[in-house]
Amino acid sequence: MAEMWISMGPQHPMTHGLWTLKVKVDGETVVDTEPDLGYIHRGVEKICESRDFTQITTYCDRLCYASANTWSHAYIYAAEDLLEVEVPERAEYIRLVAVELQRIASHLMWLGAYGPDIGNLSVMVWCLREREMMMDLLQELGGSRMHYNFPRVGGVKRDLPHGFAQRARAKLKLFLNRIQEYEALFDESTVFLVRSQGVGYAKPEEMVNHGVTGPNLRAGGVNYDIRWAHPYSVYSELDWAPPVERSSIKGADCYDRYRVRVEEMRVSASLVLQALDKMPGGADTYHEPEDPMILAKAPTRAPEGTTGAHHFEDSRGESMFYIAGGGEGRGKQPYRVSIRSPMFITIPYAAKCMIGYKVADIPAIMGSFDPCIGETDR
Amino acid sequence: MGNTVSPDSQKSAAQAVADAASAIEGVEAEVVERSSGTNPRNVVVVSASPESWRFLAENLYSEHAVDHCSMVTGIHWPDVEAERRWEVVYHLLRTGVRDPPIENGLVRPMMANPTKLRGASVPIELEIHVHIPDTTTPSVDSVQDIWVGADWNEKETWDLVGIDFDGHQGMRRVLQPHETPQGFHPLQKQHHLRYHGFEEMYDDAQGFMRKPADVGKIK
Repeated sequence: MAEMWISMGPQHPMTHGLWTLKVKVDGETVVDTEPDLGYIHRGVEKICESRDFTQITTYCDRLCYASANTWSHAYIYAAEDLLEVEVPERAEYIRLVAVELQRIASHLMWLGAYGPDIGNLSVMVWCLREREMMMDLLQELGGSRMHYNFPRVGGVKRDLPHGFAQRARAKLKLFLNRIQEYEALFDESTVFLVRSQGVGYAKPEEMVNHGVTGPNLRAGGVNYDIRWAHPYSVYSELDWAPPVERSSIKGADCYDRYRVRVEEMRVSASLVLQALDKMPGGADTYHEPEDPMILAKAPTRAPEGTTGAHHFEDSRGESMFYIAGGGEGRGKQPYRVSIRSPMFITIPYAAKCMIGYKVADIPAIMGSFDPCIGETDR
Repeated sequence: MGNTVSPDSQKSAAQAVADAASAIEGVEAEVVERSSGTNPRNVVVVSASPESWRFLAENLYSEHAVDHCSMVTGIHWPDVEAERRWEVVYHLLRTGVRDPPIENGLVRPMMANPTKLRGASVPIELEIHVHIPDTTTPSVDSVQDIWVGADWNEKETWDLVGIDFDGHQGMRRVLQPHETPQGFHPLQKQHHLRYHGFEEMYDDAQGFMRKPADVGKIK
């Protein structure tokens, strides 16, 4: 049969954003793919070169609308490496709470968007209901619902508000019960199983070579996680293990990637609960902003020759910032900020995964990798 | 508790790689202690000449199991001495990920125990600086065929910074529009962020200010 190229996107439900997937088809079979990105390239790296170190957090929040806190924290760790700041331990615990709550919210957003992708419409409303609880908690910390601007170089903006720990415990307890409802909704849906099982196989060694990390990698039966491999924050103090899925012999399919994210929400909830219990000074005490318990004094200048880098476990894989100091105003601004987006690397690989499957499998495979175009195009 | 890689084992593993890399001609490597928040971490910081980079990359991949390319960063330094006007920074990781073993037709998940990892299976991070002397056409050897993850990183570096990669297959614009003028790479330092004046593509990405080529010449 004659082969032809089809352009899926930039407006297509499969894209989860704004980009084009060019698909070469032979009948119904995908024989070649080529992603075309850059539709919402804002030049964040260039903008950062004319901003102070403290001002950049705002732009990092806006890299990914579903997972803002993980991105601003990834930047803050790199900036602290650059400016050589020692962070108070209580601030590290508060950051862990913020990041893991954000991870749950991000995975819920993914789960809610993935259901409609493959014909399970009601799940979207259920997931957004629980995401609302996480957003409320994050709003208490950062003050806004989406872009929190919460971490600061040297600590965090605010301490946990009065009664936060109590509300977080209650909401997470409710949430942990409700995860079972999602599992019932997905695992007992024949449509979901037929469309997600046995498509989009990916092998771990190949994924690492292609730069794919995070939940997508752990779905393949390996437990690699930046949080233990290059420890930051206080993960070493808590009792946890990254969830790993027992994949099939051919590798991880879309169903494994769904399973691993649901398990990861449980682990994140457990991490938050542990952090609230173990926090130095207790989760119920409150410190004023800029108290040395939650915010260390940090220099504002980084002269030329200094560099900072940090690998961070984002909701979608390994995110990373590399900052070279010594920009305008005798180092008040960075000379160069470079951002590693996990999805920028994963989307080409996901496009390769589709080869050999049917056109109808494309939304199932693409959605299972959790694409976010805000961070991809930067 | 404590189920993370300890700084001591990380340091000795990093030291082993740094010592081996330093033996290559044109390569200097050392282990630098950095911090992330409250945690110390050990990074292998390598400085390599453009000629030795490709050999170093092959060596790291085959001898030291460095299996993951995180990021490629290009930097334009117009104001420094001529030997290092351009810089490419590679961030690599050794993840130690292998395909999990198959027993009786079933996959047995590979659960690495972070506290028991020793020697070449300890995850380490590397930061490799390659300095390129002053030129209008900077380029280094591509490592696209070693780490496929470097593929789109290299495309992006050429697109935004203008550093080319010799041997890279399928180089094209990835973040900027396909019709971007040849030679326009916005992260080069001669381009400034400006909010007024429309000479540069950055200010007129939407094309509202574009005029026909013969404007003013015909009645």
